Amino acid sequence: MTKRAITISVNGTEHPVQVDVSERLIDVLRDHLNLKSVKEGCSTGDCGICAVLVDGRLVNSCLMLAFQCDGRRVTTLEGLLEDPTMKQMQGSFIANNAAQCGFCTPAMLMASWDLARHSADPTNEDVKVAISGILCRCTGYYQIIDSVRQGCKRGGP
Amino acid sequence: MSEQVSQLLDSLRAKAEKGELLYIGENVVRVDSLEKVLGNPVYTADLIPKGTVYAKLFHSSVPHGVVKRMELEVARSHPGVLGVLTSKDIPGLNESSAVLLDRQLFADPVVRSTGDILGAVVAETSPAAADAAATIRVDYERLPAIFDPLEALRPDALRIHEKGNVARQMKIRKGNVEDGFSKSDIVFEKTYRTQFQDAVPLEPEVGLAIPEDGGVRVIGSMQSPHHTQAAVAKVLKLPPGKVRVIQAVTGGAFGPKSDETPFDVCSTAALAAVKFRRPVYCGMDREDSMIMHTKRHPFVISHKTGVSRDGMLLADESKIVGDTGAYASLGVFVIVRATFHTVGAYEIPNVKADSYLVYTNNTYTGSLRGFGGPQAIFAVESQMEELARRLGMDPLEFRLKNMLVPGKKNATSAVMDASCGLPQCVEKVVESSRYREKAAMYSHQTGGVRRGLGIALLMHGNSLGPEGNDYGAVHMEVLSDGSVSVGSGLTEYGTGAISGMMQVASSILGVPLSRFRLERPDTSKHRESGPTVASRVVVIGGNASKLAAEKLRAKIIPVAAELLKADPKNVAIADGVAFDRRKPAATVRWDEIVEEAYRKGVTLREEGFFMAPAAPWDQEVGQGTPYVQYTWGALIVEVEVDMETGYYKVLEAHTAYDVGKAVNPAGVLGQIYGGTVQGLGYAMMEELLHKDGVVLNPNLGDYYVPTSMDIPAEFKAFIVEVPGPLGPFGAKIIAEPPIVLPGAAVRNAVLNATGVSVDDLPVTSEKVLMGMKLGPSARSG
Repeated sequence: MTKRAITISVNGTEHPVQVDVSERLIDVLRDHLNLKSVKEGCSTGDCGICAVLVDGRLVNSCLMLAFQCDGRRVTTLEGLLEDPTMKQMQGSFIANNAAQCGFCTPAMLMASWDLARHSADPTNEDVKVAISGILCRCTGYYQIIDSVRQGCKRGGP
Repeated sequence: MSEQVSQLLDSLRAKAEKGELLYIGENVVRVDSLEKVLGNPVYTADLIPKGTVYAKLFHSSVPHGVVKRMELEVARSHPGVLGVLTSKDIPGLNESSAVLLDRQLFADPVVRSTGDILGAVVAETSPAAADAAATIRVDYERLPAIFDPLEALRPDALRIHEKGNVARQMKIRKGNVEDGFSKSDIVFEKTYRTQFQDAVPLEPEVGLAIPEDGGVRVIGSMQSPHHTQAAVAKVLKLPPGKVRVIQAVTGGAFGPKSDETPFDVCSTAALAAVKFRRPVYCGMDREDSMIMHTKRHPFVISHKTGVSRDGMLLADESKIVGDTGAYASLGVFVIVRATFHTVGAYEIPNVKADSYLVYTNNTYTGSLRGFGGPQAIFAVESQMEELARRLGMDPLEFRLKNMLVPGKKNATSAVMDASCGLPQCVEKVVESSRYREKAAMYSHQTGGVRRGLGIALLMHGNSLGPEGNDYGAVHMEVLSDGSVSVGSGLTEYGTGAISGMMQVASSILGVPLSRFRLERPDTSKHRESGPTVASRVVVIGGNASKLAAEKLRAKIIPVAAELLKADPKNVAIADGVAFDRRKPAATVRWDEIVEEAYRKGVTLREEGFFMAPAAPWDQEVGQGTPYVQYTWGALIVEVEVDMETGYYKVLEAHTAYDVGKAVNPAGVLGQIYGGTVQGLGYAMMEELLHKDGVVLNPNLGDYYVPTSMDIPAEFKAFIVEVPGPLGPFGAKIIAEPPIVLPGAAVRNAVLNATGVSVDDLPVTSEKVLMGMKLGPSARSG
């Protein structure tokens, strides 16, 4: 297997890593960098629970090869734990019972945080679109949608 | 903030002074929500230690045959491969069965479905194991196969198992149906069919095994760790004590993780761990899971129902056939629950039901949320709709005439007591949906876009019933820091039920849930508590938790009384503060009491054990009282159908459930929303397709699960509380029931909008369109 040396900026830190050409971004994040909030649910880009931000855009990390991320900025939930918008979103998820089994929760939070950056008062429809690429099998989405709307409000819910 | 807190404390103390319930009925934060929003590494795959190797299962490619030869050499010599495990590597019993012992871990030599596992490749990396497994070639002697359960029922059918094709048979006999039919003005017969549904827990089945102490430690995603322990021990030929099973935080379960698949991944990982003396991770990917794990049984249910002209149900005869695929699994209990619910929430004086759980060469089916309820209720609620139309009656009025209310008898002749809250549920949804007004409005539509309302009603027997002894144990210990550590063989896999179970203890002890800690279920520490299925945690575990907390309280109150210099009878505890009801100004903190108890040698460690009262069922006679209490519910959906294309949307859902007492209302609503949406998937889009025994869509691109874009724009959920006799504070179960009703409600709404009866789930737009093109009756049967 051909190895390639790449440098990825993950959560603000530059990481030089040796990757196989067939390795995916999710493998680097979970296995090389120990970022376990990134979950694998289908490996085919259908469930969305591996979503992370690459150069500020939400992508499925199971569908992107690691070497494609050379020189790019990647953000996972671990990188946003001190971010005030994320903290507010997490608090809103807890208060609204939005996490049941929790397996989709990190990806839902990433998509919600991404929405919160652009919108302080999203409608139900806005939220549905923002999280539409991420499956949740437990909640039926309603308590997530309530959480995201509250979590987007500037200056606290 | 601080004002809110002080108000809350005042209200808690006021409640405690009057001896009222604390916390119960409040939206308490779950004990496990913080770790989830932080993305903590708590799931099985997050816990893989360095040096772990990977096991990849491989399975049959034919639905029925005899394995003649397996070409494993290429796989064995693949870079990074440690070895290939087959049945020859099993030191103990080659068995991976929950009930009937009809299924091997690694099929040898007969394969009965394409989901049959043949072995596993173990390699240094997960891709190496998968690549090597892909090189394995198997020669089979093909055998004829059966994919239709009705064909498998024929007396001359080829036998899939030696004992024949019927894994379980059951009956109900109430009154005399022939009498009922002869008195009926209309006798109507119809057959309904349901599909394979995949539960799709977002985390597939996974297990991690680490060799230790002449045995093995297994960490996995599962509902029932003690059952997994027994299964692994049997395969490894180890005493159960040498197999320590720990349930990791589990990323969704919905039934399959209470069935046999967790045995497969954990036994394989354990087998390899012992053989290669390495930690081994055996994780199914999505495709593996959708092919190899248990799904929801397809059912064929025929009803023959007699009714008088004025709309009274007089008799119902049903034949229920469940396709269990190649193996029985927990299907032997699924068919039981389906049979008990065959006439749903209605009183019918004469009932005859015969049910058969039948082997075929499809992939096997088993436990899945609702456990036979969704199939049975789809059939009977569809039948009710057809009857109402033939009587020219409004479907709601017809149901109101016949539904169960206190004093009436269900199919098994159990008399409904005052805890039957069905009428209240119906009232809520009728009012909320503006049913009467809208039904009148929609009765004469002519446009290209039409609307329709569909109703379905629910009776759902609580807990295991005759499926087995229904018990649970809860261990509770107050630690030095004053936190309350709770452990049980019962498991949490997403619903929040374990938090509810602990909330019961929190109420008894007067200590908020935030002071409680959940121990990971561990067979080396916690008692076997039966399977965590049937939504029984709050009801059965809640009672055990209550008992443990009461024992602890009995030890704590005297210590507090001494500190307060008060009569123990007058001591109350609220929000972690004890006080004398007569002189509430003097207080002592929980932590001080705990410390004093420690110094006095008062051990604050207790166990509660609860067993549900027996639920008598006479299987020879086909009558009895199989459940101690029931959950009740009602759902009305409104659809809009494009008459040109058949495309339809569910615009609104109005639903109500009688849960006895909502311990945590936000949690109850979470179950209602989530279960209903999973049920809407079952109703509208989900179908795991089999062709000649091969699964055609084992991935989430071709198997559709509802996304946020698919949910009704308006969803109104109501909690009704009519206390039941079994659960703590009157609680009834809620996790499973909401998945039961959408199938029939959607089908009936589409029928009322278009005149098209879709009698086989899911109700796809294609079927609706075909029905409109061919005429209302052309598609049925």
